[in-house]
Amino acid sequence: MNGPGGDSPGRAERTAGWGAVRAGFLLAILFLAACYTYIAFAELSYLSSAGRLGPGFMPRIIGVSLVVMCVLSLYADMKHLRAGEAGSPAWRSAAVLALLSGVFVALLELLGGLVSMMVFMAAALWIFNRGRPLQNAIVAVVLPLGTYVVFTVWLRASMPRGMLWLAF
Amino acid sequence: MDIFANLLLGLSVAATPVNLAFLFAGVMLGMLVGIIPGFGPAAGIAILMPITYGMDPTGAVIMLSAIYYGSMYGGTITSILLNTPGESASVASTFDGYPLAQQGRAGPALVMQAVASFVGGTLGVILITVFAPLFALVTRSFGPPEFFLLVMMGLMTLIVMIDGNWRYGVISALIGFALGTVGVDLETGQTRFTFQSAEMIGGIDFIPVAIGLFGLGELYYVFYQGVHLKGAGGIVQYQKEKRFWPEWREYVETRFAMLRGSMLGFVIGVIPGAGATIASLMSYSLEKAVSKTPEKFGKGAMAGLVGPEAANNAASSGAMVPLLSLGLPGSASTAVLLAAFLMWGLTPGPLLMTQKPEFAWGLIASMYLGNMALLALNIFGIPLFVQMIKLPYRILAPAVILICTIGTYSVNGSMIETALMFVAGLVGFFMKLYGYSPAALVLALVLGPLAEQSLRQTLTISRGSFGIFLERPASLWILGVTVVILATGLLLHWRRQREA
Repeated sequence: MNGPGGDSPGRAERTAGWGAVRAGFLLAILFLAACYTYIAFAELSYLSSAGRLGPGFMPRIIGVSLVVMCVLSLYADMKHLRAGEAGSPAWRSAAVLALLSGVFVALLELLGGLVSMMVFMAAALWIFNRGRPLQNAIVAVVLPLGTYVVFTVWLRASMPRGMLWLAF
Repeated sequence: MDIFANLLLGLSVAATPVNLAFLFAGVMLGMLVGIIPGFGPAAGIAILMPITYGMDPTGAVIMLSAIYYGSMYGGTITSILLNTPGESASVASTFDGYPLAQQGRAGPALVMQAVASFVGGTLGVILITVFAPLFALVTRSFGPPEFFLLVMMGLMTLIVMIDGNWRYGVISALIGFALGTVGVDLETGQTRFTFQSAEMIGGIDFIPVAIGLFGLGELYYVFYQGVHLKGAGGIVQYQKEKRFWPEWREYVETRFAMLRGSMLGFVIGVIPGAGATIASLMSYSLEKAVSKTPEKFGKGAMAGLVGPEAANNAASSGAMVPLLSLGLPGSASTAVLLAAFLMWGLTPGPLLMTQKPEFAWGLIASMYLGNMALLALNIFGIPLFVQMIKLPYRILAPAVILICTIGTYSVNGSMIETALMFVAGLVGFFMKLYGYSPAALVLALVLGPLAEQSLRQTLTISRGSFGIFLERPASLWILGVTVVILATGLLLHWRRQREA
């Protein structure tokens, strides 16, 4: 069975691209750590007005340590960049699932909880569970309805209402 | 009051029909959480927390704790039948559990793991009953220096014991600490890293972060590995009628393995940061070392299955000791449990057992009952759980994401927290992919404010001198234990490198 983009549980391939993704993730952490450290030094004082350790004390220690550890790790990870790294051939499935869940979160305020859940489930099942339209349709309707009833009726928890109701 | 009187009080609380119903619901949900690969107890408890909103606090905590230790039982079923651990603490159970199933001995393996889990879980609770009050008594004298050192000990243990890159472990913990500094500084009232957003003043709630890291992140990772493409074809079939029950000699031959696993698991569980995964792996190594037939390990040795099983269940009980008596969680799962305690206005710590005995002992008594329920459920509910394993992951994963998202939103009705959960999911995926430690991040996020407050108080008391950590006997003890753990971790790391 193949997933989106022809994914199959086949052999992983070693490419320089996967090593670059690892380094990119670490660089992103380093960038955020540098911003955090800058704020800790520029905006937060080391001592409070009473002469005790202030709000900047701990953030400065954390920020500097984080930057140092990221730089050390980047240096140690250079070998991954040079040698390349194995990635899973099923990475597209994970990317599609992540994209779908991001769209689901974005749709919550627009379509409301119930409709967003149905749209998300229908889309996810259409992509990942191909060839079973009846099963997909039943799950895409019953599961969101059940979740909606449990959360709103039984638990009396809040559910995003969405903007669709404004049209009526 | 002595232990028996306390236990009777606890039983009178736990054995009410309502609390028994919550307990049974908790162990069932725990089994399910354990069975779903990539969906651990931390995410399970976090998502199911909103369900407990309308409940009595004791019943709610009984149910959430049952999910925690119930997941230890459930995780092994997939280890044996599918060679895929339901959660990390069941990894060691694949080493001999799956070979046993392949040899047509899935039935005996499933029954023996249930018995070992029961022995480990119950012995663990007996040890909690004895040691938790003593622990609470000893730790009453703990001050800020000891609390700071305990937090650091827990994180260092977590980092050195992970089978991966220690630098990534440290980075994970530091990210957690950094996130923990967002919001109002409790000592000065000044806001930090809030970017003038009203929603950030209260800090970063760790529930969406935990759900994202351990729920979404793990699911993306399982998809990345292509588990959804494999289907249920790999499940080993077993026949309930034919050779389902183990032979009597197997109980006799493995009795000491169960006892060793239970004792080792409990001790490791008590150490903050160590946890059930390390306990089960250490128990496996121990059983192999003491066995007269070590060559059978990895090929279907029953002792290689029951030792780790007893250990991970005893460790989950052991982890309740620092949680109840110090208010210090040792793992991501117990960190989420701590949040549940606090949500109900129950502050774990040295005084909990004396100030709220009906709650503390009710919880402990419920764990005895929960382990009995789990034993019965594990043996007689196997056909039901096998059917659940067969649920295709391509349907299960979107369903779990749906529940994670709606569950996160329902906690505070906040879209920012829901978006935070999604971002944490993406970060969790990359952390899992590259060997970072989401558990260290969550633990540091939860304990960061306590660590900062303790360190600042300590340095105020000592007028800036770090020598205070060497002057107090309790601090010295904690430092000593930390050094031993670090040395053991480094030794294990060195051995792993040599073997590789």
